[in-house]
Amino acid sequence: MAAKPVLASKQTEEVVQGVPTEVVCTAFANTLLVVVTQYGKMGTLVSVEPDVVADGISKPLFTTKVLLGKDEPLVHICAKHLVTSVSQEAGNKPVLLSMALKDRSIEGIQTLREVIQRCRVW
Amino acid sequence: MEDGRAASQPGSGSTEPGGGEQISLHNFCGRLSEQLVHFHAMRLRDSLFLWIGEAPQLSSLAVAMCTPRDSIPASTSLLGDASDSTSNCLAQRLASKTKKQIFVSYNIKNTDSSFILLVENRIKEEMTAFPEKF
Repeated sequence: MAAKPVLASKQTEEVVQGVPTEVVCTAFANTLLVVVTQYGKMGTLVSVEPDVVADGISKPLFTTKVLLGKDEPLVHICAKHLVTSVSQEAGNKPVLLSMALKDRSIEGIQTLREVIQRCRVW
Repeated sequence: MEDGRAASQPGSGSTEPGGGEQISLHNFCGRLSEQLVHFHAMRLRDSLFLWIGEAPQLSSLAVAMCTPRDSIPASTSLLGDASDSTSNCLAQRLASKTKKQIFVSYNIKNTDSSFILLVENRIKEEMTAFPEKF
């Protein structure tokens, strides 16, 4: 039973704006799972999907949908900020984002983006 | 950062989320009635994300957790075909076993109850062998 794992994942942790934060990224063939947590839990689950556009004409817009947790505007904004670039770099793959954030300041979000980049599995 | 984590000293607990318990990742697999099945477990604080699949696809997701009022855990489908209750059922069964919040993503075409039982038994076997991973 020693088949090698079919999923690639990377994890890291860092203190962001004074808050201990963990990030785990896992690559599936059809989607990326990004977990960003300052509570150690899954928190709010958001699906971030690029809209379909003709190749090379423009960058796609993103549709965010809260699957679990509080559905408020700031959640959608944070989600787009955090993983739009991830999706684009992965060739416009949908991203499933799980975030449990204590600090949702713009500075915090910027730093979190850099931490996510360190867990590059795409 | 990554290296320091493996050797976290007792004193370093305050800088870690949840006071010392980090997310742990665990991959395993099993050959169940001639089919190779892959498992990916991510243990979080008081919760578990478990992916089960034959290929690296994530196309369904359900969550379940115990409630004080009912012996059957509450569950809901978050992603994928809502009429396919396999992820749901599995999440419920694991939630009642572990008392944790359980996310299950079941991505195998075979949804016979006898096959799912094999899957469940394989998970329980791994839980017994590596309790710290779940």
